[in-house]
This record gives sequence, C-alpha cells and structure tokens, in this order.
Amino acid sequence: MASLEVENVVKRFGPVEALKGINLSADDGEFLVLVGPSGCGKSTLLNMIAGLDSITEGRIIIDGQVVNDVHPKDRDMAMVFQSYALYPNMTVERNISFGMEMRKVPKPERDKAVMEVAKLLQIEGLLKRRPGQLSGGQRQRVAMGRALVRNPKIFLFDEPLSNLDAKLRVEMRTEIKKLHQRLGTTIVYVTHDQIEAMTLATRIAVMQNGELHQFGAPQEIYDRPANTFVAGFMGSPPMNLIPARIGKNGAGVNAEIATADERTLRLQLNGQAASLENRVNSEVLVGLRPEAITDPESRDAGAIIQEVECLVEVTEPTGPDMLAVLRLGGIEAVSRMRSSSRVRPGERAKFAVNMSKAVLFDPETEQRI
Amino acid sequence: MSSIIDRPAATRGGVLGWLQVQLPKIVLAPTCVITIVFVYGFILWTTYLSFSRSRMFPNLGWAGTKPHENLWANPVWYKALENLAILGTLYIGIATVLGLFLATLLDQRIRQEGFIRTIYLYPMALSFIVTGTVWKWMLNPGLGIEKLMHDFGWTGFQFDWIVNSDMAIYTVVMAGVWQSSGFVMAMFLAGLRAVDDEIIKAASIDGASLPRIYVRIIFPMMRPIFLSSFVVLGHLAIKSFDLVIALTGGGPGFATELPATFMYKQTFTRNNIAVGSASAVMMLVTVAAIMVPYLYSELRAQKGVQR
Ligand SMILES: Nc1ncnc2c1ncn2[C@@H]1O[C@H](COP(=O)(O)OP(=O)(O)O)[C@@H](O)[C@H]1O
Ligand SMILES: [Mg+2]
Repeated sequence: MASLEVENVVKRFGPVEALKGINLSADDGEFLVLVGPSGCGKSTLLNMIAGLDSITEGRIIIDGQVVNDVHPKDRDMAMVFQSYALYPNMTVERNISFGMEMRKVPKPERDKAVMEVAKLLQIEGLLKRRPGQLSGGQRQRVAMGRALVRNPKIFLFDEPLSNLDAKLRVEMRTEIKKLHQRLGTTIVYVTHDQIEAMTLATRIAVMQNGELHQFGAPQEIYDRPANTFVAGFMGSPPMNLIPARIGKNGAGVNAEIATADERTLRLQLNGQAASLENRVNSEVLVGLRPEAITDPESRDAGAIIQEVECLVEVTEPTGPDMLAVLRLGGIEAVSRMRSSSRVRPGERAKFAVNMSKAVLFDPETEQRI
Repeated sequence: MSSIIDRPAATRGGVLGWLQVQLPKIVLAPTCVITIVFVYGFILWTTYLSFSRSRMFPNLGWAGTKPHENLWANPVWYKALENLAILGTLYIGIATVLGLFLATLLDQRIRQEGFIRTIYLYPMALSFIVTGTVWKWMLNPGLGIEKLMHDFGWTGFQFDWIVNSDMAIYTVVMAGVWQSSGFVMAMFLAGLRAVDDEIIKAASIDGASLPRIYVRIIFPMMRPIFLSSFVVLGHLAIKSFDLVIALTGGGPGFATELPATFMYKQTFTRNNIAVGSASAVMMLVTVAAIMVPYLYSELRAQKGVQR
C-alpha cells in the first residue's frame, strides 16, 4: 500500500537524454500504466522507480519519502520482467521463495507463503520443476508468483505479457486485473500495447521519446487526447485526424471538409463556437474516433448528431462490426458501422457523425484546441 | 511436352553436371583418406604394437599382454601417473578458479577491459615450448627469480622448486596455469556476458547482494562452461608433453615424468616400442573416457535444439 510521485525526473545516458523531465503520481491502490512506442523510456523510468537505475535529476517519492538513494531491496517493491528473468538453476519453488530467503524468513513460513501463491496462480503442480521445463505461460505465472509472494508496497510490471500468444495475453490481462481488484496494491505497469493500457489502468501516462504527452484517466485520454500523437497512438483503428478549415455561416462556426467528389462537408462546431471565433478561415484537424462516424441507425442517443452523405471507398468486415473507409479532407477516414450495414464500396451512403465527440487539433503545434 | 520442365536441373550437360554433383566428394576425399589412415589407422597400428615383440623397431611377432604387464611393473610409469594426477587436479582446478575469478572481475565493465583481456589471452598464443623455456629461465635459481632477489640484496631468498624432486611437478602446474587461465577467463567472460541483465535486476530486487547473486545464480548458470573448460584443460593435461620437455625434461631424475614423456622415452630412447605403445593405449583410453561422454552430451543437446 503506497503512493508514488515522480517529480521532474530526468535520465541521461552520456549525451543521450532518455527521459526529459517526467511528472507523474499514483495514489494508494492505483493501477498506473506507462504506455508508448518502444524506446520511449518506459523501462528506464520503471527501473528508476525500482532503484535499479540512478536518477540524473528530479525526485522519486514513495509514501512521502524521497527514495532516490534507497537501495532496490529496501524499497519494498516487486517486479515482473518481460523476459520473466527466472533463475534457471532453481526450481519454481526456490525461484518464488528466493526473495524471502534473502530476507531471512524462516523456512516454514516461506513454504506456507509459496503454497498460498501457487494455489492462487494454479501452479501447484509445477513447484518442483525448473524454468527450462515450463511453457511461456507457465513461466509468466511463476514470475508473477515471485512478485506476489513478497506482498510488496508497489508492484512493477515491465511488459509482462508481450511474450505470450494473443489468447493467453488476453487471459492473463484479466487475471492481472482481478489480482489488482483483490489485493488493492499500487501497480505501475509498462506496456506498448494501448489496449492493455485502456483495459487495466486507472490512470495512463502516454510517453514518446522520453517525454510525457498526457497523463490522465483512460476515458479522458481516449476522448480528449492532448495532441495528435496521443490521438493516433491510443485506439485501434486510431482516431481520424481530418484536415479541415474553420468556416462561419448563419448557423455558427463549422469545419469545412473536402470530400472525394469535390463537395464540401460542413460540420457544425457549436459546442466550441466561442473559442474558435479567432480561428475562422484557418486550418485545423478534426479528430473523430471511428465509432463517432456510424450508420444513422446506430447513432448515440442524446448526442449532437449531424448526418452527412459520403462516398464509401472500401469496406472491411471485422466480425462484430464493419469498418468503412471514406475519403475526407484528403485522408482515409475510418468509420465503424454495424456488421449488418448495407453500404457498398463505390456507393454513397448516409453517416451519422457524433459531433459531441469531436476534438480539434492545431495542425502546427499538434496540440488540442 | 512437360518432360522438359520436369527434368531435374542437375542432369543437364553430361560431364559438367556430373562434376557439379561429385566435386565436393572429390575435394573432400583426400582429407578423408588421410584422416582415416593417419588417425584411426595408426590407433589400430599402435594398439597392435602394444601386444607385439617390438623393441627398437616394430616387430609383428605376437607377445600377448607381456608389454602391458611390463608397463604396469615399471615404477616410472607409476610416478608418471601420480604426476598426472597432481598436475590434472591442480592445473584444471587452479586454471578454472582463476579464470572464473578474472572473468568475474572483468565482467564489472571496468575501463580498459579490451586491453586487460588481451594481456591475459596472450599466453595462450604461445606454444608450450616457449612457455616452458621462459619459465625454465625464470625458475632457474642461478638465472631467474632467486638470482633477482639475491641481486636486490635479499640473500636469504630461496626458490629452487625446479631442481627439487619433491616440488618440480608444481612448477609444471605454475607454467601450465599461466598459459591457460587467460583462455578459461575468455570462455567464462563470454558466458557471463550472455546472462540476461533482467535476472540480475530481479535478484537485486529480491534482496541479494552482488556476491550472492554471483554465487547463487550466475555461477550455477555457467555449468556448461565449467564442463567445456574441464574437457579442454583435462585433455591438455593428459597430452602435456612439450611443456614438460621444455621446462624440466622430465627431471630432476624422473620427478616430473608424465605419461606422454614416458611414452616418448620408452619408444624412442629406450628401444621399447611395445611398452611405449602400451602406455599410449592407456592414454587414449583415459582421454576417451573424458571425451566420449562429453561429445555424447553435446550431440544430444544439439539435437534437442534442432527439434
Ligand atoms: N544503459 C543504457 N545506455 C544507453 N542508452 C540506454 C540505456 N538504456 C536505455 N537506453 C536508451 O534509452 C531509451 C529508452 O529505453 P527504454 O527505457 O528501454 O525504452 P522502452 O522500455 O520504452 O522501450 C532508448 O533510446 C535506449 O536506447
Ligand atoms: Mg522496455
């Protein structure tokens, strides 16, 4: 049980600045996910929280105490690694109890703790085996067991699922979430998979090139991305960023979007009219999630809906729904339709655009307006 | 119609095609024949001689097990075996421990690592003859270390192992260790470098100190390298001939006689080819006893990987 604060943390490897001033915090019991493309500095940050890497500048605070110079073994954290990092020469049982052995916990107590964790993770049958005799999924469980048995203040996970096959990954994801709900321990979890981030986190930190782009609740990050990078990184398919021009007519401010058949679509931006007055005639990017462009029958109730007619270029059935690709403002915009939708490639169809979900970005600064 | 397409490419162009298929075999054939004759042929020849009445020249007359009985009645042979036991244990043991120790120090990513590694590896590039000669000079009481200390004024200093029949075998150990521990170090260093960083991180979060991480986790992971170094050093010890010849010549007396020098002397200076052959066969059996299980386990491991 612990809170965590990361204050202006900078990490340099020689001339390379791997982290450029990160500010984060997690309350007691929170599930904080660091997400970003690989090489963005997530593992470096996690290692610094664990005490495995020195901190060039800034402070890391746990439960109100600065831990910059505290040895990893005294931080009371447990970590699960991407490669699992099991000790190959020890049995599963020894792997799990090694940390307790180093802390001089008496043998009967260790055995009891190992049994409890093994039962929780359903690896009782594997205790006498060595890591080399286990499948990837089993090794992953053992690595989890090694962390769980310690009952630490904070759990750290470094891409724990990325070496598993797709099905197992989804299963383990659910199990990790259940574990968190049950134990209530603070977790810092690193992943490059935005779906993992969305499903697990209570708060997400989106990083790129050593910078923190946005830090907030999953829904907030999904609905109101701070910039075009976050908009493109979170969500699959990603948010459509449609080039448009702010126009003004009798009905108010609108976004003028060029279509494939050389017409102009006008999307009313009445919700944000006041802040857009000074941008009339300038270029913007209209951010619309695929599910904000749907067939009229499956529109959201209670939202500001605008119906438009558009030419469909390609349709891609995915099973639960169908993606239709439209050409809007010169880019391919993806819309999410019901799987029973009758739209055909090369035909015009009606779409309901949920304008209450639209966000605007400045094409120069790439920041949200 | 379709036969043109179906015909395999290799059967085109008569002689050339034949050559293309046969060339690798033709090129390899001489080495193959040479190996069979000079390695396996001579193993059989030596084995036969060890049951013959050969003295100064090979003699095909059958003597039964007499040469073997003579061998095992010879006190010098027992001395050679005893020396081999001392040399084998100490040389393998010290070179392995020292190599592992140096590798562990180098693994701490110190500066100038490449330079230091090269220094330790250089002795391996020398032949045992050079090593033996250099150490003979250094250990010679009238020329080497003892003389140096006397010149510095420490006249009480005494280091005469090389001329002392009880201690001479240990000078062979020293020179051998000096020659080989750099190589063992390089093997261990490669192994240590292959250890996943995350394992070390996991262990330090688990609360293990660095020495403990090495002893409890990393050294046990070096098992295959311990095995390889044992095999390499073991067969060097059994075969060691040139080092002893250059360093002590088997003396003083026969204090540093080893099976290999024994065999050489019996065969070529004592006109006793049959006994020499018998000792050679004994050495072959000993080397085989080490190598065969090793090769077997290596081959099995490789098959496991391919699967
Ligand atoms: N020990 C190191 N020395 C030099 N550069 C490093 C070191 N560790 C990481 N880096 C650099 O820091 C950046 C972030 O790495 P990392 O934290 O591993 O990324 P991520 O986990 O997000 O994929 C990378 O550009 C990497 O090259
Ligand atoms: Mg990483």
